[in-house]
Amino acid sequence: MSLAGRGGPLAGLRVVELTRVWAGPYAGKQLAFLGAEVIKVESLGSLDASRSYGKTTLAISPGFRAVNPQKLSVQMDMKTDQGRALVLRLLEKTDVVIENLRPGAADRLGVGYEAVKAVNPGVVYVSMSMYGKEGPLSYQTGYAPCFVACGGLTYIVGYENEPPTGMNIRYADSTFGAAAAYAAVVALMHRRRTGIGQFIDVSACETASSMIGDILMDHALNGKVQACDGNRHPEMAPHGVYPCLGGAWISIAAPDDGAWRALAETMDGPRLAGHPHFRSLADRKVHEPELDRLISAWTAAQEAPKLARLLQSRGVPAAKSLDTVDLCSDEALWARGAYRTVSDAWEDSRPIVGPAWRMTGEAAIVRGGPALGEHNAYVLGEILGLSPEEQQRLADSGATR
Amino acid sequence: MTALARLRVLELAQGVAGEYCGKLISDFSAEVIKIEPPGGSPTRALGPFGQGAGRRETSGLFAYLNTNKASAVLDVETPAGAAALQGLLARIDAVIDDHPPGWLEHIGLAPNTLAQRHPRLVVCSITAYGQPPPEGRDLAEDLNVFHASGWGYHTPSAPDDRRPPLKGPGRFLASYETGLDAALCVVSALYGRGRTGLGGFIDISKQATMVSRIDYVIGQMVAGDMDVTSSRTALDLWGPAAIFACREGYVYLWLSDQAHWAGLRRLIGDPEWMRAFPDRWLEHENTPERVATCRKEIAAWLAAQDRNEVSARAQKLGVQLVPVNDASDLPKSPQYQFRRYFTEVDHPVLGRAQYPTTPYRLSVTPAQITSAAPTLGEHTGAVLAQLAAPSELDR
Repeated sequence: MSLAGRGGPLAGLRVVELTRVWAGPYAGKQLAFLGAEVIKVESLGSLDASRSYGKTTLAISPGFRAVNPQKLSVQMDMKTDQGRALVLRLLEKTDVVIENLRPGAADRLGVGYEAVKAVNPGVVYVSMSMYGKEGPLSYQTGYAPCFVACGGLTYIVGYENEPPTGMNIRYADSTFGAAAAYAAVVALMHRRRTGIGQFIDVSACETASSMIGDILMDHALNGKVQACDGNRHPEMAPHGVYPCLGGAWISIAAPDDGAWRALAETMDGPRLAGHPHFRSLADRKVHEPELDRLISAWTAAQEAPKLARLLQSRGVPAAKSLDTVDLCSDEALWARGAYRTVSDAWEDSRPIVGPAWRMTGEAAIVRGGPALGEHNAYVLGEILGLSPEEQQRLADSGATR
Repeated sequence: MTALARLRVLELAQGVAGEYCGKLISDFSAEVIKIEPPGGSPTRALGPFGQGAGRRETSGLFAYLNTNKASAVLDVETPAGAAALQGLLARIDAVIDDHPPGWLEHIGLAPNTLAQRHPRLVVCSITAYGQPPPEGRDLAEDLNVFHASGWGYHTPSAPDDRRPPLKGPGRFLASYETGLDAALCVVSALYGRGRTGLGGFIDISKQATMVSRIDYVIGQMVAGDMDVTSSRTALDLWGPAAIFACREGYVYLWLSDQAHWAGLRRLIGDPEWMRAFPDRWLEHENTPERVATCRKEIAAWLAAQDRNEVSARAQKLGVQLVPVNDASDLPKSPQYQFRRYFTEVDHPVLGRAQYPTTPYRLSVTPAQITSAAPTLGEHTGAVLAQLAAPSELDR
């Protein structure tokens, strides 16, 4: 069964993923959420490891289902001649290919850009790798924390005057996928105007670097090398995360003197607001450790959610630092569809993380991540026009295992 | 001319998220016209500043975010400015905004009236929590969004619970991430318009963008497949992967399977302590004691190594060891040089400098910076001349 008729700006486009785990699938997911038909090519011989991670088995695939909603799954074993021929026939009828196999693997398997271009000259082929497809370090591989380290982010995340701690270990795969999705859509716009497809080479490390462009500019202009700066912000004070009751934390930022005065009034009335140590940003930067101590002493006896509401009402940007219980029950995220429920092969109703956007004419998102081979009949039959007998023969030969 | 030539975008945005969104589009040759109030975009007053700090037009942040754009000064909060804006809207494809909720309505761009007056126009609004804002969440800086999305509470991994969670890299992570999703949506909407003839309103939430970036984990939690807790390690992975100090600087070492372990044994020379570990301990017998021993021994060994030399040697053995680069390392990286990640831009006040570019290389239509960020109002005359009734603006 196809998932046609969902609408959305990318309706009518077909995307095929030769991807694993998180970054490549995230790129495909963004395009699926915008209305494209996204087909994952998988096989029992080279499964997406996220189908089997963790305590559960292939049959349940929780990690896989978290990142692959609204996609189709077809089994084609690229390591067999017949399987490879099937993949190429599918890629012939595809607008976008997303590939994030190991460096060189797509070419070795015969599904690299040149091979696909030979059968589909207008294809937009997106290759995703740690460092880019070519160049002196292109042979290197790594998981997301490696991208973040290479890209210059790890070095600057940590407490002041201490060795770096880095971002949370989960960071960077999804950002890498988002950059790849954007580049694909840009190339589609160009193809619509000119009919010309192209090859897109996306680097995970450079994607990470792009998230600190201003810090790289500081080096370019001034030779400055940013070091770990805790929660400091050169243009705001206070700017920090402060303890609350029960091990909770609250983030508070004062973007200007007005926000600081509002915070000070709330803490201690006019005396603190007018204190000469804290009058201007320059004053507060000089006395920032003292400022942070005063705020921490004040927040420590309070409940974070209540305090955040109070500060918001006084004009101070503040938010509880949300834990995973808070996050999964965040009413605003449910209300805007950032969480929503879909059906899938296992459950009639399953919550997923939806898109970050709402838009006029947005695509319906109704289906969860596919079971392995859930759409074999649709892809082989309707897209490739193979008879049931031919499909059976391919299954028997192992080409669609 | 690259991929997005012939598109005309009006940028009302004055923050990093919207300006970055505009840059992602302008670097592919779309005509992006930045509309600024008489005092200029607030990002012009944010660092880092180049030489001659204190002088006008020295913000490196603004210079980075606004390459290839035009700047027109127009106070859209005045009746005359709002009228001029309406005149421009008939000639453009998309609007990018990142003012607080309610501002677009205030200047006459309410989403529900757009469809009638400008059915082909795409209007993208970037806000901290989406529109309309949830109750009690009117104000947020990127720090607050980072912490309202789950990334903050869980950064760093393996924390000391007595110390505060951190803000992440730099000042603007949530803005850059959301600017990227906004650009994806704007270009997609313009693509869809080619089929339907219709534009529309896009509402992007920074919080939702950042939560979406943890979909692999939060998706499992929200579906009930993974436990939710108030622990700061709820997003962590188990194992010895970590940052290690070298002779100078640091490396990051990832270890999660038998092949990594086998490569590491060859790299280090298979010392006694490694031979005592089971071959598949990383997958099946990953105990806290083994992790501690492994880290201690690796730390001692790496302390005497050169981070770049040991990384190259490790990678050739299939070990995912990389240097922890700082801002000065990236322009020197042979890979970044090969891909020309940095490119020279000549700015009228800041002079020549090596700007970071984009992480994707498009073979036919690469992104390119052909002009430096505009000075305030540099193109006001040219932009207003495009209007049918310029006399309305003479004031």
